[in-house]
Amino acid sequence: MEVSRRRLLIGTVSTLALAVGLPASFPALSAENAAVGTDAEAKKLLLRMVRVVYPHDQFPDAPYERTVDAIIAAGNKTPGQKLMFAAGIGGLRAASFGNMDEAKATEYCRGIEQSAFFGLVRSTAVVALYNDQEVWKILKYEGPSFDQGGYIDRGFNDLDWLPDPRITEKG
Amino acid sequence: MNTIAQDESAVVIIGSGAGGGTMAYELTKAGIPCVVLEAGKHFSINDWVNDEWEAFGQMAWLDTRTTSGSWRVARDFSGLPTWLVKAVGGTTTHWAGATPRFLDYEFKALSTYGEIEGATLLDWPLDLEEMVPYYNAAEKAIGSTHVHGRPPLPANNNYKVFANGAERVGYTRYATGPYGTNAEPYDDRPGSIQDGFNFQGDKNGSKWSTLVREIPRALKTGLCDLRPQSHAVKITHDASGKADAVLYVDKDGNLQRQAAKVVCVAGNSIETPRLLLLSDSNQFPNGLANGSDQVGRNYMRHMTGSMYAWFEKPVHMYRGETMAGIIKDEVQNDPSRGFVGGYYMETLALGPAFLSSFIEPGAWGRDFTKMMDAYCNMAGMWLVGEDMPQASNRVTLSDTARDQWDLPAPNVHFDDHPNDVAMRTYAYEKAEALYKSVGAIGTHRTPPYPSTHNLGTCRMSANPEDGVVDKWGRAHDVPNLFVSDGSVMTTGAAANPTLTIVALAIRQAEFLAGELKKGNL
Repeated sequence: MEVSRRRLLIGTVSTLALAVGLPASFPALSAENAAVGTDAEAKKLLLRMVRVVYPHDQFPDAPYERTVDAIIAAGNKTPGQKLMFAAGIGGLRAASFGNMDEAKATEYCRGIEQSAFFGLVRSTAVVALYNDQEVWKILKYEGPSFDQGGYIDRGFNDLDWLPDPRITEKG
Repeated sequence: MNTIAQDESAVVIIGSGAGGGTMAYELTKAGIPCVVLEAGKHFSINDWVNDEWEAFGQMAWLDTRTTSGSWRVARDFSGLPTWLVKAVGGTTTHWAGATPRFLDYEFKALSTYGEIEGATLLDWPLDLEEMVPYYNAAEKAIGSTHVHGRPPLPANNNYKVFANGAERVGYTRYATGPYGTNAEPYDDRPGSIQDGFNFQGDKNGSKWSTLVREIPRALKTGLCDLRPQSHAVKITHDASGKADAVLYVDKDGNLQRQAAKVVCVAGNSIETPRLLLLSDSNQFPNGLANGSDQVGRNYMRHMTGSMYAWFEKPVHMYRGETMAGIIKDEVQNDPSRGFVGGYYMETLALGPAFLSSFIEPGAWGRDFTKMMDAYCNMAGMWLVGEDMPQASNRVTLSDTARDQWDLPAPNVHFDDHPNDVAMRTYAYEKAEALYKSVGAIGTHRTPPYPSTHNLGTCRMSANPEDGVVDKWGRAHDVPNLFVSDGSVMTTGAAANPTLTIVALAIRQAEFLAGELKKGNL
């Protein structure tokens, strides 16, 4: 279930990337090409970066880790992406990004905001993180509703801090 | 289903959405066989999913497109100028359901507003009085709430905030409709179960779309040959200049030809002008029906914007019918507000998946995440008003980008007119005041999304030099070529366009059936 959901998500992200105008595909990579960003240190840096870009104190690590997986998949799509992605991670490492406090780390991200690397991380994360079912639960969004009979008996009109308004025009 | 031979000259309808789907049903009901060429797949409501991104991947028109101009969509979503559907039923599968009529003055934009610098305003060659019977027919087809005896939808949470705010700032004309989703069973469709996901197709089938009403009924007549995954790429003509066939690409990528005695183009306001431009020939070097050089021009997308506001207490805006809330007080021409034309305020809700991408595209950091953290306590509305037609807002064929069939992709160029900007700023202020009156602790001005209301580009005009089609939607230059979608709109009015597209299609089908029976085509 989790694997298929993740695969779906990665597919969705790439569809979006295509839709918003990221580069079209290069020739497919051969399987023996090593993936970029999959070592523990790189993952830790990316996780820190996503937490700085989309900081939610109440979110546990798990949805951020799934977001990092989506970023790694996106960053390895093409040789060009790989080169750019590797350079971006190298930049985080060289700047000791992992040791920065949130203010410093935010400042670093502002500095690279226009880069392709930041664009890849942010545009992938904004889709992956907020499409995560664990995140939905924390934000109190209930997700699919049709299978549960909609909200007709589950609170579509349960707001009680304002009076009930009329629903037709007067007269 | 009826099969029509490819060498039999038939009525060929291109597209199966609000315009094309309505044409297919109205014509087959009148005994006229039709071929319907639809670029997308034929899904059923059981195929729809209650998941914003998955549904987007399933439904959205994602063929290559490019953008230019100063509109923000060109920066944030450069390859996605619109948010339209590629499937049987077209964008009626995605529409929310608001069905206001155009007002009389909105058919007379030039006379009412006068000349506006930079705008190509024109009066429609028809008026509200002429449209009333067709609006009645369209409202009954759609099953609009609040009219013709259809009951209103109940207030959902997002509406409660919206309507209470409306009352407190002094608006009087607010209601939960008219809205194209059943409050109770009607026309063989069930009443709403308040399940949301109107934009994702509506699995319950309470929402009107041509997928659930017109297309199945057209097929039932035995006169409709529906061909999904059949992407029209060129309309050809004979030596006399009349359309004689439509070339289309089938699902296997093969080029096919359907002979035609009449062609009705209903591909929405990007693909319709693109197809006419792709249909150039020695006789029509600037594209078919383009003697006036108006094909693709005067592209309109409505003045839009959204306001999201958050409160101390929960709202759960996503529960229930997405757009079942409308305020009409600002729809009037009152230039003392600093702009001509008017706008509606309508409830709107997105899930976290879409809200994160659209509430402020490109934003990140704590200012952004504090809005997402407020999701449960958030209310939302859409602002939709008349935008100014401009000759330079235009769909053209790209010199460089090509689609999956190796044909020139459409480029969509758009710049806001100063009137659009003034109206948007004013509307944001009014929306903020509304939400603050019921205790908003924060508000955000969300910029326009990729366009769902796409209008103009083949506009109706009394004078052939000013537009592409006449008052029946018939091309000025090609007597058996009709445009049957929102492309024909001379000006955009403030209203959500689907009702008017359906009403115009019912009217056009009646005219076309009459002409065919008289032997005039």
